Amino acid sequence: MIKNMKESKGNDFDIKRAAEEVRNLSFNNHVCIGCGICESTCPVEAIDLKDMGAISRNKFNTEFSGHDKLNQNIIEDNEDLKLTIDEHKCVLCGMCSGLCPVDALKLTIDDTPIREMDIYPHYNDYARIDDDECIYCQKCQTACPRDAIIIERNLPKRSDLVTGEIDVTEDKCIYCGICAEMCPAEAIEVDRETGKESIVIDKDKCVYCLVCKKSCPTNAIDALCRICSYGEYDINPENAIVLGSSVLDQELCVKCGWCEGVCPTNAAKTKKAFEGTLEIDQDKCQTCGACIDICPCNVLSFVVPTGPGQKLDKILKKEEYCIRCGACAKACPNDAITVKITNIDHTPTNSKTWINALNALKN
Amino acid sequence: MVNKMPKHIASGLKYLAAVKLKEQGHNQQKIAEELDIDRSTVSHYLNGRNLSWNSIDVAKTITDLYPKDFLTMVQAIIQDPEKSRKIVIICKKYEYDAFVDDSCIGCGLCVDLCFMKSITLVSLKAQINSIHCCGCQTCENECPTNSIKILEIEDD
Repeated sequence: MIKNMKESKGNDFDIKRAAEEVRNLSFNNHVCIGCGICESTCPVEAIDLKDMGAISRNKFNTEFSGHDKLNQNIIEDNEDLKLTIDEHKCVLCGMCSGLCPVDALKLTIDDTPIREMDIYPHYNDYARIDDDECIYCQKCQTACPRDAIIIERNLPKRSDLVTGEIDVTEDKCIYCGICAEMCPAEAIEVDRETGKESIVIDKDKCVYCLVCKKSCPTNAIDALCRICSYGEYDINPENAIVLGSSVLDQELCVKCGWCEGVCPTNAAKTKKAFEGTLEIDQDKCQTCGACIDICPCNVLSFVVPTGPGQKLDKILKKEEYCIRCGACAKACPNDAITVKITNIDHTPTNSKTWINALNALKN
Repeated sequence: MVNKMPKHIASGLKYLAAVKLKEQGHNQQKIAEELDIDRSTVSHYLNGRNLSWNSIDVAKTITDLYPKDFLTMVQAIIQDPEKSRKIVIICKKYEYDAFVDDSCIGCGLCVDLCFMKSITLVSLKAQINSIHCCGCQTCENECPTNSIKILEIEDD
C-alpha cells in the first residue's frame, strides 16, 4: 500500500504521496478564511473544519478587534487552527485545492500547482493594481481587509517643491525671538541669553511663508518665496510627481473589491468568482459578532444607534464587497445568516465529478 | 536446495510464457527478446530439454491462482517489476474489461497502485488499458469513490 506522509509546521501542514507522481497538498492556516467549502466538498470526508463560530465569538469576548478599526478580521497573533485533514483518509484528489476560494489549500503534482493546469477547473476571479494608473495614495492598503496590499511611495524632495531664499542680518537682529514663536515650520531657533545671543534658521524646515519677515520688528530678516515671486518657473514638474510601487499578495487576496471601491483612479480592478446573495435574519440574530469577526471581506458590521427608540437592523452589510464564501453562515450560532451562490465563473472541465462539485456549491 | 526453489519456479513460469508465445505464432528470436533470455534456452524450453517438470507444475498452479495472488507470487519469484509484468500479461488466464464511472475524482490513487501500470489519468478520469490489466482488482478495492469495476471476460 502507498502511504501518505504528513508534515506539520505549526498550524500549517503538508500531505504527500510519492509514487508514480508526487502529489503534495499544503495547507496555509493564515490564508484560510474558514468558509468550509473544502469540508463540504471533500469526497472522502477527510477534512475537519474547526468550529470557527466559537473561535470568532471567543475573540469577540476577549479582544474584539473593532467596531471602528478597518482591519478587524485578520487573526494575526495566536492564530487558531482552522482545519485539519486526516492524512489516512485523504486521497490527494485536489478537489479542496481546486474549490478553495483563496489559496489556503494547494495541491501540486510533480511540483506543478493544479491551479496552473488546464485540465482542472479554476475560478475566473482576479485582483490587480495597474501601476500606470496608481497614484500611490494608499487608500486600498488601508481598506484591504486581508492586509494583502503594500503600496510603497517615493515622495519628491520637499526642496523640489518649496523653494526660496532666507537670510538674517545679524546687525539688525535684536534676538527678540518673535520670529521663532511665529514660525509655523519651527525652522528658527533664537538664543536670547545675554552675551550668547544667536539666531539660526534651518533651511531644510523653512517653507518660505515669510511670516518671520513680516513679524520682525527690526526688518532683520530677508526672505523670498520663489513660487510667489516668479510663478512656478523654478519647479521642475517631473520632480514633483509621487512615484512608487504596489504589491498585491495574491495568496492572501480574496478578490472582495474593497481596493477597487476606494481607488480614486482606475488602478485597482477586481472580479469575483461567485455571484449570489447574503441574507441576515435580524430576528434570529443575537448580535454575538461571530460573523463580523470571521468575515474575510469586512462586509459586516454592528449598527450603532444614533438616537433612542430606533428600530434598527442588528448587523449591517456592505454587499458589494461580499464574495459569498459563506464563512459567516458557518460561524453564526443561531443560523441567522443564509448565503447563496447563484453563479460561479470558472474555466471548463471535462470531469463530471468536478462539474457536480462546483454545481453543489450553488445550493 | 530450498533457497534455489524460486529460481526453478521462475524457469517454470518462463517456460509457460515461452510456450504461450509460441502458440501465438512468435519465432524463437522474438520469444527470447520478449522474455529476456538466451535463444538457446528458448530452444531448450520448446524442445522439452533440461526442464524440471516439478517446477513447471508449480508454475502452472501459480498461474491458476486468483489473479491478485498470481500477481503477488510472480512479483515475489521474478522480483524484477518489468519482467514480472511481461510474465503476468503473457500467462494470465483471462482477459478483463475495466469500467470507470463518472464519479471518478481523478485522485490518481489507482495509477499509483496499479502494478501493471495499466492506468492513466485522462481529463481527471482514470483510463484503464485492459490489455495490461491483470484482474487483481487492487484499484477497484482501493478506489475512494468506488468508481472502478473490473470484469472477467468469459471465454466462449
